[in-house]
Amino acid sequence: MKKMIVLIMMIGLWSTPSLAAGTQYNLRVDGLSCPFCAYGIEKKLKRSKGVETVKIDLEKGMVVVQVKEGISFTKAHFKKLVDDAGFTLKSMTEAAP
Amino acid sequence: MRQYSQIIMGILLFFGSSVVFAHDPIFSPGPHVLFKEGIEVHVGVHREKAGSDKSDELGLELAYGLTGDWAAGIELPYLSAENGTNKANGTGDAHLFTKYRFWRNDSLGVQETAAVLLNVILANGDDKDNPPLGSGATDTLLGFAYGYESLKWYRWTSLRYRQNGENNAGLRRGDKWLLDFVVGIRPKPPVYLKADTVLILELNAEQGQRAEHNGTALAGSGGTQWFISPGVFWTLRNFAIKAGVQLPIVSNLRVGQAESDYRAKLELEWHL
Repeated sequence: MKKMIVLIMMIGLWSTPSLAAGTQYNLRVDGLSCPFCAYGIEKKLKRSKGVETVKIDLEKGMVVVQVKEGISFTKAHFKKLVDDAGFTLKSMTEAAP
Repeated sequence: MRQYSQIIMGILLFFGSSVVFAHDPIFSPGPHVLFKEGIEVHVGVHREKAGSDKSDELGLELAYGLTGDWAAGIELPYLSAENGTNKANGTGDAHLFTKYRFWRNDSLGVQETAAVLLNVILANGDDKDNPPLGSGATDTLLGFAYGYESLKWYRWTSLRYRQNGENNAGLRRGDKWLLDFVVGIRPKPPVYLKADTVLILELNAEQGQRAEHNGTALAGSGGTQWFISPGVFWTLRNFAIKAGVQLPIVSNLRVGQAESDYRAKLELEWHL
């Protein structure tokens, strides 16, 4: 029985990537009115070392950035990248791993 | 005099095009620029026909985002032209261009912007060929563009002034004012990484002043034309296809000039 519980716990740890993932940043970006233009944000954000994925929701003006474990960014960093892409960072929240 | 009319008309035909960025209108400039350090590669085909004069242009354009609001680049055209009896092929006048977006007002799903643009058209094309492939003079185009873009509706307007230079033969084509009004609609809400289509309709006005030869105004030159231009752009992530046709609705050209039948454009564009 003990062995079974340990095995289930190990499988659980392996199969839960959120436990091993880094911070998720939720950026509210203004000015996102077309998908072709939004590509600039994806391009700029993915140039930052440690960024794993970038998801964009145009209707909600949301850019979700998933970074590697142990990597963190400041709001000022994202503000500059979003501005360089030609848009305006309205707010930022982060979900710790 | 007929000879000058042909030269002027030929040059107007082959060099009336303007450099535009993706998600700008097709026959007129908008305020769009590139993201900082972004590269735009653009290949376009442009056809114009006016009476017996016809030209096809294949253009390669490269642009670079200097900042998030400032882009610059070069366009290199290759032309095939005919004027009824003669045909000519070769490189046309290269364009050097820059655009600076000086105002931006962003809100949720909406971007309102304004930009100034400068376009220098060099004199590298062959102006001795018949029909001519180059103007033989350096021209300058200065413009202003405003745009409102939302997830559903688009509207743009632009005003440009083209100052034409004088070539070695003493011929100076008339300067030109260009005014554009554009509306666009996106039939389906956009989703990032999914194909996106925008339908657009442009109203383009061109007012050309008289050409001069050694300071004397030429009768068969200048006038006003209005065009209606339906078009479409289709994009997928960082790739865009734009196509449109420009049809004359009002033509008030001075005597001796062929009125435009149509102009058409097909453009492919990548952002890297």
